[in-house]
Amino acid sequence: MATNVLICDDSSFARKQMARALPSGWQVDVHFAGDGLEGLDAIRAGKGEVVFLDLTMPNLDGYGVLEAIRREDLPAMVIVVSGDIQPDAQDRVKKLGAMAFIKKPVDAEKARSVLAEYGILTGA
Amino acid sequence: MTASAQAVSVSLNEEQRDCYQELTNVAMGQAADRLARLLDVYVVLPIPKVNLIEASDLRMAIQDAETDKAMSAVCQGFIGSGIAGEALLLFNDTSFNDLASLMNYSGELDRYGELELLMDVSSLLIGACIQGIGEQLEIHFNQGHPVVLGQHCKPGDLLKAGNHQWTQTLAIEIHYTIEHVNIDCDLLLLFTEDSVVRLNNKINYLLD
Repeated sequence: MATNVLICDDSSFARKQMARALPSGWQVDVHFAGDGLEGLDAIRAGKGEVVFLDLTMPNLDGYGVLEAIRREDLPAMVIVVSGDIQPDAQDRVKKLGAMAFIKKPVDAEKARSVLAEYGILTGA
Repeated sequence: MTASAQAVSVSLNEEQRDCYQELTNVAMGQAADRLARLLDVYVVLPIPKVNLIEASDLRMAIQDAETDKAMSAVCQGFIGSGIAGEALLLFNDTSFNDLASLMNYSGELDRYGELELLMDVSSLLIGACIQGIGEQLEIHFNQGHPVVLGQHCKPGDLLKAGNHQWTQTLAIEIHYTIEHVNIDCDLLLLFTEDSVVRLNNKINYLLD
């Protein structure tokens, strides 16, 4: 069965870059969200089993999304994809429950290895 | 960078603006990371503003942002692959005390002390931002010497000192602040209008 993957980023260019970086052969249904609020709605609707989440977004930022996922105990494995590569930013998102951190610009090989490391990528 | 006799018509659609914003986002993150490691702080990253503006509106844009506050500023030209521009760092003068203590600056914080701090921060932020954008577009930018536009000036006066020979410019504005301390500055990247045509070609390739 295909995995529901959500790409949540306010930049359409960044969403496209992320979608291109997904491993080929991975059975997925890809969904998109343009800010944190849209992203949360999609996760609540079950479209975000795996979420690629940007941090700097209008309306609700990535930190807010992580807090809400934890508060509502939503079933989402979150990989933060951000240009904010400060050590503090990476610590904060890990503490908020993000599984992994990938720096932008996203690299297909890195995405594949992170997914493989957490056993998400099976049979691809 | 001579003014063209014939006006070059440049434009920016929504998709291109978004792309510049994202490229800047990545570059300013790299710059913030270097500053964060140097000062052991967390740099708050905003969403960068990308606009095509008339050179005559530049002064207004900055005055709007910073009103009457006394500022010090550095500008530095850059050029590569036929793309040229200037980076302008506007530093709020009230930031110097906190910056000095974070940098463990031991000398007297006079005009020269402030100048030293200003040059350190501007070379770090400007250099990292320019190279960050260049890397993503596969352009190697050469940077000119930094020039101090003024110390303890009003923003409007600082820009009079700059001799901008183009009419329209692609302006990218990044407002950096640092968490828990009183430090803020504006980094502006200004590309000449001839350069915007080439830059747009570069990013159209990315957008394909």
